Amino acid sequence: MYEFEYHQPKTLEEAAKLFADADDPQFMAGGQTIIPVMKQHLAMPSDIIDIGRIADLQGISVDGDTLTIGAMTRHGDVAGSDEVRKSIPALSDLASHIGDPAVRNRGTLGGSIANNDPAADYPAALVALGATVYTTSREISAEDFFTAMFETALEDGEMVVKVTFPVPEKAAYEKFPNPASRYATTGVFVARTGDGVRVAVTGAGACVFRQSDFEKALDTDFSPPALDGISVSADGLNSDLHASAEYRANLITVLAKRAVKHAG
Amino acid sequence: MEKYGIGQPVRRKEDVRFLTGTGTYIDDIKPDNVAHALVLRSTHAHAKILGIDGTEAENMPGILGIVTGKDWIAEDFQPMPTKSAVNKKIDGTPLNQPPRHALAIDRVRYVGEPVALIVAETVSQAQDAAEAVEVDYEELEAVTDQVKALEPGAPQIWDDIEGNFCLDFELGDKEETEKAFKGADHVIKLDLRNQCVTATPIETRGAIASYDKDTGKYFLQNATQNVHANRDTFAGVLKIPSEDLHHVAPDVGGGFGAKNSGYPEPSLLLYASKKIDRPIKWISDRNESFAADTHGRDQATTVELALDKDGMFLGLRTKTIGNIGAYCWTVGPFTPTGGSARTQGGPYYFPAMHYTGIAAFTNTMPLDPYRGAGRPEGSFQIERIVELAARELGIDPVELRRKNLMPADSLPRKTPMGLDVDTGNFPEVFERTLKMSDRAGFAKRVADSAAKGLKRGFAIAPYLECTGGGPKEFAGVKFARDGSAALRVGSMSTGMGQETSMPQILSDRLGIDFDKITYVQGDTDATPIGGGHGGSRNMEVGGSAVLQCANEVLVKAKQIAAHLLNSNADDMELSEGVFTDVKTDQSVSMVDVVAASFEQSRLPDGMEEGALDTDTIYEREIISCPNGCHSAEVEVDPETGSVNVEHMWVVDDFGTIINPMLADGQVMGGIAQGLGQALMEEIIYDEDSGQLVTGSLMDYALPRADSMPKMEMAFFEDAPTAKNPLGVKGSGEAGCCGAPPAIVNAVLDALKDDGVLHIEMPLTSEKVWRAIAEAKAG
Repeated sequence: MYEFEYHQPKTLEEAAKLFADADDPQFMAGGQTIIPVMKQHLAMPSDIIDIGRIADLQGISVDGDTLTIGAMTRHGDVAGSDEVRKSIPALSDLASHIGDPAVRNRGTLGGSIANNDPAADYPAALVALGATVYTTSREISAEDFFTAMFETALEDGEMVVKVTFPVPEKAAYEKFPNPASRYATTGVFVARTGDGVRVAVTGAGACVFRQSDFEKALDTDFSPPALDGISVSADGLNSDLHASAEYRANLITVLAKRAVKHAG
Repeated sequence: MEKYGIGQPVRRKEDVRFLTGTGTYIDDIKPDNVAHALVLRSTHAHAKILGIDGTEAENMPGILGIVTGKDWIAEDFQPMPTKSAVNKKIDGTPLNQPPRHALAIDRVRYVGEPVALIVAETVSQAQDAAEAVEVDYEELEAVTDQVKALEPGAPQIWDDIEGNFCLDFELGDKEETEKAFKGADHVIKLDLRNQCVTATPIETRGAIASYDKDTGKYFLQNATQNVHANRDTFAGVLKIPSEDLHHVAPDVGGGFGAKNSGYPEPSLLLYASKKIDRPIKWISDRNESFAADTHGRDQATTVELALDKDGMFLGLRTKTIGNIGAYCWTVGPFTPTGGSARTQGGPYYFPAMHYTGIAAFTNTMPLDPYRGAGRPEGSFQIERIVELAARELGIDPVELRRKNLMPADSLPRKTPMGLDVDTGNFPEVFERTLKMSDRAGFAKRVADSAAKGLKRGFAIAPYLECTGGGPKEFAGVKFARDGSAALRVGSMSTGMGQETSMPQILSDRLGIDFDKITYVQGDTDATPIGGGHGGSRNMEVGGSAVLQCANEVLVKAKQIAAHLLNSNADDMELSEGVFTDVKTDQSVSMVDVVAASFEQSRLPDGMEEGALDTDTIYEREIISCPNGCHSAEVEVDPETGSVNVEHMWVVDDFGTIINPMLADGQVMGGIAQGLGQALMEEIIYDEDSGQLVTGSLMDYALPRADSMPKMEMAFFEDAPTAKNPLGVKGSGEAGCCGAPPAIVNAVLDALKDDGVLHIEMPLTSEKVWRAIAEAKAG
């Protein structure tokens, strides 16, 4: 690891000032990506601004049909939260399968979405549920938030504060984990709300995407057979050591059907 | 006393410190004034080193020194020779052995090959400096596949070794085998691979070296499996007498063969520590472990089975090409040759067998023993060809195996591979495994799986293997007045529990309180010789040495007891720590006998104080033959191709069981590694660039607790071997001989209606999914 200055601000204002004053600063939430990257000498920030002590970023609450989760909420806390389990059990289930216990005890919702790893689980949930990302300067719809591989709509120095999720009628997440890393080789989040059905796919492409032909079919008939006969193209899908594009295309269909079944 | 004796499931003494984080592994040792080293490694699979410029790096903060190949050669340090027991080609000429120096000299031949050692005040400073060392490479074409390496026109890894050929080897009767094939009604043939895997011990390698200029002696603490042999290797490199190097292994967190060998790093550290006159520590990180720990398996094999019209085996012919990487390493060339040859044919009766093995150089990290070192490969080869024969000939695979097992009354027998199989009962072990496997309930379980959209399969895989490693071992015991005993043994545990099982033997034989026995291993000053661990030899050779030592103590203890009781040694009987005169019923405790051994006035003539202290060396004559049988039930999800191993049943014949709990642990650990090889593990190098693709735990899949099936294990203890006084056969490597074929064949059984006949390991989800799709497409 290269040397860096470490800061632990207590307020968003303090964090913003530290960020503005540093040469090449980096916010750190749970550190589950930035620390390994730094250990491998693949990043050399001048300053690490640990946002873990900022009170405004904490907490889970439900207000009517909206679930709000603070950016610094750990995956383990999302998985263990009664509010989440009662309002959106699919989200609770998703969080319980991220990484391993050590990752879940450190990694955070805000950190995960700000990093936008193409194989991360949360992006699928945010897009399928039509979530809204609140940052230090604005609110962004989930679909607009995730822009490209490891890229988001966040501007330099802008920080995720919280995410709000409309509570869906039905939802489920099915993940086929990479056998080594247990990231999503492919993960499909299916949600039905008053606005219709959304199907979001993670792990299969460069960035989370919606499978609109599935959505259309499920709008009419929310059952696994509704997806029969819709073939998913392997074009543009990821191909790597653990799964070819063709295999991922198959997984999208299989996992979407299973998610629909589990959503009930 | 009884509960600590031979055969008792004594809980491991060492677990308290291992499980509470109070073990002492290399990185827990922090000598005063220690400097830190980093190994700069090759980023190319094959390249000329045109020059190394360390000027800028040397002047960076905290840098204490940089050692390159040029410095190494200038010091005239020696290469590390291979110790492969097979060291001649079929034509009788010696194997082709390139010089293996601790640092690359003018050319690198695999990604991860050490190019320079950087020593600094901190690891971080060494890392920064590493980026400033300019290595000028001229890239050369690389070859990482052993079959391609032998093809004409392949890149030449060594200028003076034509065709990347190390050696060839054969065993068995070629003519008889050819005759058997000519007369056969059926010949079944299969090409298969045992993919390249790595051990991934939980503790990566590491070492601390220091030099005492007053005494002129070196001290090396090292995460190794074998202190004596490696001491000699490092001393040979540095051209110093072995006695000037004190080599110690503290607690070691797993070895599996990957910590067996003489690696480059310790010699570099020893040299540098003398040069800068400070202790130096080096700890491998996990990525380095993937690139620079020796790999295992990697055999490309053609296996052929000849059968008569009734399905009886007539002959077996196996041809293997093994990858050994860029160097011969420590015993690399042995694995695909002698290592895989001896147990060919498994526990089946073969009138004729012939084995050919070739070891080839490639631009990969060299290979050395990995748990089983050739026998798991052999076991997989025979079990796959038998399963395929059953499928192709329409014979029940259980029945085909049953009728071809060596009958109990055929033992003792020397197999056509020259393996001396003395005791065992393969049919009995097979039937017991089958009985445990609840075959009656299988049909219902298949139906239950089908209701979930899953396919269920079953397979049984009997195995026969053999032990190996150094034949000699030392055991010594030193007593204290309070009756406690310090046991020193030259074999080594890297977590298997010998700190418990060795004292069990001593306690059992001498009636000494188990808690009063301390155990020392892995120290060249503590034992005059030591074979470390490898080839499942710990109990077989080390345990036998402890038993022999205990027996020698007992002879003397009886004399002392008889002297104290005014009786005859022959009349002394030891039971539960008390010597009793069988004639007079007078008694004296072992504790008292030990106390008396420190008082000249209480000793018989001819004995001196400390008379009970005993050092002994046991030597094994013939290797033993552990054997057993695994069966597996798996579920396959045809939509995704993913495999879940549901249940495994195992019956093992390890001869006498010293501690059944530890033996169970060996089997379970072996199954975990076997399951890993069967389903997910694989070291992959990029075909064109020779880069290591699976260089981290993000890419190299290891089984986790939730990958493991329910395991039921039993031991067949009715056939202890007479090859050693304990009657043990070795348990360490058996699990990964039985598990891969049982699991792979069970998957293929699940897919039999789909017409899938073969899938190469590892059976990843995509491969299984594709196999189903391809079979369907015809």
